[in-house]
Amino acid sequence: MANKQPPCAGPAQDLASDCPVQPASADPAANPLKTTRRDFLRAGGMLSMSSLMGTAALMTQSDNANAATEWAEHFQKNYRLMTPEEKNEARLRLERRYSDEYGKKVAVDTTEAQPGMLMGYALNIRKCIGCRRCVHACVAENNQSRGTRPGEKIEWIQVLRMERGKFEQEKMNHGYPEGLGIQVGGNAYTPAGQVLEGQYRYNPEKVPEADATYMPIACMQCEKPPCVKVCPVRTTYREADGPVVIDYNWCIGCRMCMGACPYWARRINVTTPVLPKEEMNPVTHYLGNRPRMRGVVEKCHWCLQRSRHGRYPACVEVCPVGARKFGNLLDPQSEVSKILERKNVFRLKAELNTFPKFFYFYD
Amino acid sequence: MKKLATVSLILALCGGAFYAVSAAEKAADPAAAPKEAAPKAPVECFESRKGASEVTQREIKPGWPNVKCSPTTGAALWYGDPFDGTVPMGKMPQLDIPEGQAVIKPRSEKLALMPMCGTACHNGVGPTFTPPTLPKGKKPAPVPTMAAMVPDLANLQHGRGRIWCLDCHHTTQRNKLVDHYGDPVSFDQPQLLCGKCHGDKLRDWRDGIHGKRIGEFVSTGKKRWFTCTECHNPHNVQDGARNRGFVQLQPEPSPQLPRGMANADHEKLHAVGH
Repeated sequence: MANKQPPCAGPAQDLASDCPVQPASADPAANPLKTTRRDFLRAGGMLSMSSLMGTAALMTQSDNANAATEWAEHFQKNYRLMTPEEKNEARLRLERRYSDEYGKKVAVDTTEAQPGMLMGYALNIRKCIGCRRCVHACVAENNQSRGTRPGEKIEWIQVLRMERGKFEQEKMNHGYPEGLGIQVGGNAYTPAGQVLEGQYRYNPEKVPEADATYMPIACMQCEKPPCVKVCPVRTTYREADGPVVIDYNWCIGCRMCMGACPYWARRINVTTPVLPKEEMNPVTHYLGNRPRMRGVVEKCHWCLQRSRHGRYPACVEVCPVGARKFGNLLDPQSEVSKILERKNVFRLKAELNTFPKFFYFYD
Repeated sequence: MKKLATVSLILALCGGAFYAVSAAEKAADPAAAPKEAAPKAPVECFESRKGASEVTQREIKPGWPNVKCSPTTGAALWYGDPFDGTVPMGKMPQLDIPEGQAVIKPRSEKLALMPMCGTACHNGVGPTFTPPTLPKGKKPAPVPTMAAMVPDLANLQHGRGRIWCLDCHHTTQRNKLVDHYGDPVSFDQPQLLCGKCHGDKLRDWRDGIHGKRIGEFVSTGKKRWFTCTECHNPHNVQDGARNRGFVQLQPEPSPQLPRGMANADHEKLHAVGH
């Protein structure tokens, strides 16, 4: 072993050198002048650190903001464990990278949750006409991928067209209609007859149709979110003011949360997101609508970049019939509190005990 | 000979330079043309009701439009500034909010005939008719001039025949509406009129449950309120057989089909009829 490494043989072993690992002697007393394992590790660690930092310095000083950001992101902590200084660093890094990438000044916000705020959402299911304006407003605001190939077009809100039922006296004790919402025949890959309750891709000339009612669904921002329970890297969590958010940098794309969500609210970027420069919304939030990368999961976050600054989410602002309502659940004067007080309210799949903060109501 | 060579060299250089300049100009021309052409086409989209709440797209600051419009349906899809072109709403009974926190977009300027109505014809001193044209029942009189100007008038679908023009429009000041006590009400505050009959809706609207507001969501924040007639057509609230308050409109495009799915017909299948 020793004759293979002539430069390492000799008395100058105590210095931090480029020598590879010395074979550990069976008897420590037999070789008293040699470096101990601890010394060696310390020296090696310092060396590797200095070389890493040197590379980092080289990378961060390069013109390519993208490469520098990627390098620094390798050492970024989970967002919840970051100090305010580290968050600020991450913010500046991302602003530089996005501004470089999209050719305009991009702001990445890191505003924290304010005390006394618990966001809540209400939707008047009688009023909804199924025009899908909320779906497309969400895309315009939240920098989703909008390509044309399969998997490149991501929308967070789904509008389900439900058939209008009616109460019939003789069927009152029959319970839930048989077969509804259940796959019939086939297997998981080729369903012979899939029975769905709602139509997702309806496309009539004019809405609302006479025999239909519409039910928009998106992330319900549960108080007990199943997606948070299953996340193996704990990158998705509930913020103090209500919304369940994702730190995209820590997402590993395992899609456990997509399977756990009972409301089909989560989407994954299977491809590199297609986001044209001119359509990119430059007002972003770190936990919200900043451009995502390939292989991360994303979902509705109640437009954190707006709502943290007191503004209505984008879907609320465009709803032409005013079916969507947003407010502070802790404020008895807010719209949502008044609805909870005065109207008939239900929550989707309440039996699952997820406690959504998204309420459906009707007059 | 040497002189000639230098002259020719200079000439060649100049020619090359000229060629380069002209080429640069040619290259610059197509790039400049779209930049000039882009702002010339005004994009109009409607906010809530087609034909009544149009808004013109413009840039508030570079690269930041006041509103984004849907390319398929022409609907407003995104607000850059929710308070663009608004004025204070004015007094509203039983509503305690600071002045300027509630704003509306004035409707008066969108009503083309409004400046004329109260001054040219229905000014209280206009031509007197003999015999008086007030009809016996509550059915609008078929006045040809009015029918030509207001198309909804021929088939008034509001109140199922129980109300007619002068229940809402002021008798002598035709560019005003009329409230409980016969006092004129501005066209910008139709809620004071509509609340006469639809009191429950007025209460819900005041608390933010009915209707639409945009701006700041906190209860003390500045909001733009949408008034009744921005969403409902008062002359056609029933919308024919549908009998609902909101007219039908074209929906935005449906979501993408997954890979390998030809159409979405399977969604319409139901094993059990219901």
